[in-house]
Amino acid sequence: MKFCLCMSNVEGKATAITVMSPIWPGARHLLRALFAIARHPVGKRGQGKLETLSFIHYARWAVISEFPNGDRGEKLKYSYLFFESNFNGTWDEYIDAFSEVVPVRMWAIWFTSFGFPGPQPVAPFKRYIRKNEYIANHYWSAYPEAATTEVNSAGRVAEAVTALRRKAEGMDRESFKKAYDEMLMSIQHDF
Amino acid sequence: MASPNVSSQAYSLTVLAPIVSERISDLVNYLDNVGSGDASPLSKVGSTHFARWVVMDAPVFEGGRQRRDSWSAPRLLFTSNFDGELDPYIERLRVGLGECADKVWGNCLDYPGHEQPAAFAGWIKRNQIDSSLFYAAYGGMAVEDVLRSLEIRHQLTEFAIAHQGDPPDDLKAAFLSEFQP
Repeated sequence: MKFCLCMSNVEGKATAITVMSPIWPGARHLLRALFAIARHPVGKRGQGKLETLSFIHYARWAVISEFPNGDRGEKLKYSYLFFESNFNGTWDEYIDAFSEVVPVRMWAIWFTSFGFPGPQPVAPFKRYIRKNEYIANHYWSAYPEAATTEVNSAGRVAEAVTALRRKAEGMDRESFKKAYDEMLMSIQHDF
Repeated sequence: MASPNVSSQAYSLTVLAPIVSERISDLVNYLDNVGSGDASPLSKVGSTHFARWVVMDAPVFEGGRQRRDSWSAPRLLFTSNFDGELDPYIERLRVGLGECADKVWGNCLDYPGHEQPAAFAGWIKRNQIDSSLFYAAYGGMAVEDVLRSLEIRHQLTEFAIAHQGDPPDDLKAAFLSEFQP
C-alpha cells in the first residue's frame, strides 16, 4: 500500500525517488564489494558517468541486512538494496536517462534484486522501479527552483565575480574593463 | 578511510526507525499535511540541502523465487543531505524541528523526545544506516555557497544588461558598488 500522492515527491524543480528492493540471499556480500570498489579512488573514476547525468543533485545506495535499533535491531529474511536520488526533471526522463546512459552500471547494481528485468527495454524497467518505489510523505529542498546545472554554473559565476572583485580596486579603468569583458566571455555558457 | 556517508563536505544521513503500528495513520496524516517550502519544519534545520520523510509500510513482494517477507513493524525513513559533521547536525535537527520532531518521531518505538539532547542524538544514531555509496554533484558547496552563488549569478545577469556599453570609469565604479566584498 502506498500512502501518498506523487506530488509529495516534488519540490519545485526537484524530484525525490526512494527505492528499496529485496535482493537474492547472499547477494549483499557481492553488492558491498561492488560499492567498496566504486568508493575506491580508482573506482571513483567510474562516477564520472554519473556526472554526465547532470540532473542529479545527490544520490545514495545502501545495502540493508537488518533494520537498526541498537540491540533490538531486526534481522531480515532478505537483504534490501536501498536507493534514493534528488534530481531535477520528471520521473520518466530520469529513468529513461539511466536506462540509456548507464545501462551496464544499472545492471551491475540491480541484477541481484528479485524481479529486476534489466534496464532495457525501458518499459519493464519503469514498471519494476514503480513497484519497488516508496513515495515520500514529505520532501524538502533548500533551493527548489535551481537545477543541478544551474547550481554548478552559479558556482563558476560566483568564483569569477569574486576573483575579479578581489583585484578590481588595484586596476586602472581600462584594465578593469578588459578583465570584466574577459570574465563575461569565460562564463558566457553559465548564464 | 573516509566514511561512506561523506562526499567532500557533504554528509548523507539515513535513519530508519520502527513505527508503532497503531500510530501509522496519525503519522501519515501529520506528514501529508505539514507545510511545504518555507513552511516546512525542515526549513528550520540549517545546512540541509535535501531531506525527506517516507513511511515504508511493508516490503515489496516480487514473486518468483522470492518468498513473502514481513517486517515486525512499518518503518519511517528519514534522509538528509547536509553540510559538515553528523553530531552538530543532529543538534540542529533537534533544535530546528523542536516539537515537530516529537510529532513525527514520537510515533516511533523508543523515541525519547527532543528535549533530551543526548538521548535524542543516541536514538538517531541507533537507527542510522550507513550509505554504501554516496554521490554529490557539488559536494564542496555548502547550502550558503549554493544560495549565494545563485544570487550572484542573478545579480551579474542584471548588471551585465544594465551596464552594457558603459564607459570604463562608470563600469568599474558600478561593479565595485554592486559586488561588495
